[in-house]
Amino acid sequence: MPSWTDIQQFLVTGLSLGGVYALSGVGMVVLYRATGVLNLAFGAVGAMGALIAWQLINHSGLNDWLAFAVAVLFGGVVTLAYGMVFGRLLAGRDPLVKATATLGLTLILLGVMDLLWTTSGGASRSLVIPTDNNTFQIGQISVTYTNVIALALGLVITIVTGVFLRYTKLGTAMRAMANDREITATLGVPVQRVTAAAWFGCGLLSGIAGVLLADLVALDATTLTFLVISSLAAALIARLRSIAITFAAAIVIGVVDAELTPVQSVSNYRDMTPFVLAAIALLVLNRRRVITIGRQGM
Amino acid sequence: MANPAGVRSEEPTKATEATGASDPAARRPPASRVPEASALVRPAVIVALLAFVLLALPSLLSLYYVDALTQAAIYSIVALGLGLLVGRVGMVSLGQAAVLAMGAWVAARILFATGLPYPIVLLAAGLITMVLGTLVGLPALRLSGLYLALITLMLAGAITVVLASINFPNGGHGFTGYNASTVHIPPIRRPSIATTDPAYFRYVVIVAALMFLLVLAHVSLRPGRAWAAIRQSESAALAAGINTTLYKLWAFALASFVTGVAGGLLAGGSRYLYSIDFQTQDSITLLAVVLMGGIYSIWGAIVAGLLLELLPALLNSWGVSADWLTILFGVGVLQVLTTAPAGLVDQVPKDLARLGRLVLGLFRRTAPATGSSSK
Amino acid sequence: MIEISDLTVRFGGVTPLDDMSVNFEPGTCGLIGPNGAGKTTFFNVLSGFVKPAAGTVRAFGEDLVRMVHFRRARWGVRRTFQTEQAIEQLSVFDNVAMIHEHSKLSGASRRREVLDAIAFVGLELDPNARVGTLGAGQRRMVEVARAVVGRPKLVLLDEPAAGLPDDETEHMGEVIRRIPEHSGALTILVDHDMSLVSACCGMTAMLDFGKVLASGPTAEVLRDERVIRAYLGTEEVA
Repeated sequence: MPSWTDIQQFLVTGLSLGGVYALSGVGMVVLYRATGVLNLAFGAVGAMGALIAWQLINHSGLNDWLAFAVAVLFGGVVTLAYGMVFGRLLAGRDPLVKATATLGLTLILLGVMDLLWTTSGGASRSLVIPTDNNTFQIGQISVTYTNVIALALGLVITIVTGVFLRYTKLGTAMRAMANDREITATLGVPVQRVTAAAWFGCGLLSGIAGVLLADLVALDATTLTFLVISSLAAALIARLRSIAITFAAAIVIGVVDAELTPVQSVSNYRDMTPFVLAAIALLVLNRRRVITIGRQGM
Repeated sequence: MANPAGVRSEEPTKATEATGASDPAARRPPASRVPEASALVRPAVIVALLAFVLLALPSLLSLYYVDALTQAAIYSIVALGLGLLVGRVGMVSLGQAAVLAMGAWVAARILFATGLPYPIVLLAAGLITMVLGTLVGLPALRLSGLYLALITLMLAGAITVVLASINFPNGGHGFTGYNASTVHIPPIRRPSIATTDPAYFRYVVIVAALMFLLVLAHVSLRPGRAWAAIRQSESAALAAGINTTLYKLWAFALASFVTGVAGGLLAGGSRYLYSIDFQTQDSITLLAVVLMGGIYSIWGAIVAGLLLELLPALLNSWGVSADWLTILFGVGVLQVLTTAPAGLVDQVPKDLARLGRLVLGLFRRTAPATGSSSK
Repeated sequence: MIEISDLTVRFGGVTPLDDMSVNFEPGTCGLIGPNGAGKTTFFNVLSGFVKPAAGTVRAFGEDLVRMVHFRRARWGVRRTFQTEQAIEQLSVFDNVAMIHEHSKLSGASRRREVLDAIAFVGLELDPNARVGTLGAGQRRMVEVARAVVGRPKLVLLDEPAAGLPDDETEHMGEVIRRIPEHSGALTILVDHDMSLVSACCGMTAMLDFGKVLASGPTAEVLRDERVIRAYLGTEEVA
């Protein structure tokens, strides 16, 4: 049985991770609602951004925060580029096809990352956000400002996105497109521009998530790429609809995963958490009895 | 009661008007009655190819390539299973690497624990994987499309984590057969008749051929037709009386079985199994090569196996990083999905034909113009 | 005879079928109504894709609603869909045979009954031709063949003539008219082409907003004021 201190310390980790999963999940949900694309390359894009930041900091001597900004911008630009080319080419297809296409992007990025930053030879890299070094104490546990930022960003982005979707013209347009793209176009909504905004926004969030996770977890291409599954689980629990539920689910996933770390008996298996939770979410919550009439995706 | 002959004589003009033929005699005989010789050519080519691969190939190549081709043959079975799911039934699985791992694990465990003959071990690996795969897939079958793909990803991910914890059997005791402190890990045994690499290669090719025949049999008979109906439209299939849940399960079971057998072959082939060889990324790469090879054709599975195992071996020997292949596969996925849903097997002949026409066109243009029409 | 009593379907906030009650008589019956009236939903209830919130469907003495959907084809429900459903990769024969083999009919007579159905729909269809090579009108007839093979009890045709030119529509009408005599099935035809409906159907029911507005002999229903008004702007039907 882990100690109370341990539980609290891991709670801090869990909340920070949850915060990042939340902002990732929100990005994926909004993009899905606006374009029908479940962006499975979200993690890979962020991973590459983080590696670029690492490269700039350690080999070009660039200021940390500028490097992070580049990473975030990279995420936005790459995702936008993908969206403008392949999002458009596959616009009328089944969500399955669109999601599979993002897997293609994932493979490309994984290949590029391994080429440029190989992990063979035992090279282990780390990304350190300066706020890691600013800590404060709550009782016996130490909290870094990075932890705070991660959780705070998750919360802020969720709230801001919610407000944005509900109260701004662009946001309302995105919600309209989630319902029916074609009708929205006939209403004079600049569908292309709205789509581009959704892709770019999602990409920016990829970059932010990439940098934070590289710091909190590890700067490793594969690890960061597949951490997207935790955010995906949160999004699925929210049935790809409510960003409030995405936030809550993400926090829960982050906390549960972290809290299982000190529990010796299951610690090895704690990585199953997002998989198991996502599977449950799929089976229980998304069990739409969809009997489609007409051609299937592939 | 309508009489076929009677109907024809009643409405010959109406029928021919509808089909546009002006002369009843111009009606061609049904396509299948066209020279039976052409129906024999295909199997003859396949048999000849198989004979070549079995008899001549191993002696023509270095052990390095024999091993690469053995792996290619094994993975072509896996691609066959995935192609069946995606191409015939329309179910995308992002977890076949985990199924393969299960098959390899079961086979390794049995091989270490017993002295059973290899065919029995392979059969057992296939059957156990089939049962496991079906049990795990059972709740998933209520999902379709994107959600089915996602859940296979999730389940595969969970299995990968479990595997990383219990590791592959290495001769130890207990259920998992894994002894963490073993210094000298024994290799997994091979069939007594095929211990050398070339001999094992032949063994693998024969088993692969059997697996292909098994799937072909399914596809040509009732399950294949039911799957075609389900892929086109599940509701129409239901309305036709097809128990779609049963047939989807059957496809899952068949794909899991052949993949399990492939896992068994992998155990004997690689001789040492590590959980790092079965990652989530591998399931995605598998899907990529299956898409590229062509999901509608059996040949596509062979192409997929070669893409996955022969190309890396070639690149390696040329000093080129295998990462370029990962990038290629990613591009391949995008290309297939946006332009050529039938995959390379369908696309390459078309591309070659187009290339041929282009060359002919160029040739004609450079030849002195004779004023006749050109295509 | 098919008796529909108080059939109600609800999903989301919509009620596509609202207390629908009508009896369909043996022979060919029409079901008309504007878009969104609930006609396809009704067919979906009969096929088993949609579970009604209330009401019953009694067909030939059986309560259809209780039957599992894929068993209904075995029992004798056949259906065509608004979008083409014939399988392109398979031949005409295989497409029709598939229905037969899943309907628990004897294999011995299968070949004869399949060829019989293919011949019944006319158009000189080559049983060995791949459906993918056929034209639109021919594919529709393949679907009709699928609907009539064996011994169906209930044949549901959902806008079978949609998009077809006049001559093919006429042929379709002739075939539909002959279905009850050829197979003993009760046929329900949904279509917007009023001339097709009046040419084929003895009785017709009209659906609007999920309720039956009128039912009875086709000619009378098509002249009914309420029917004409519901179609708003549709030319008066002959």
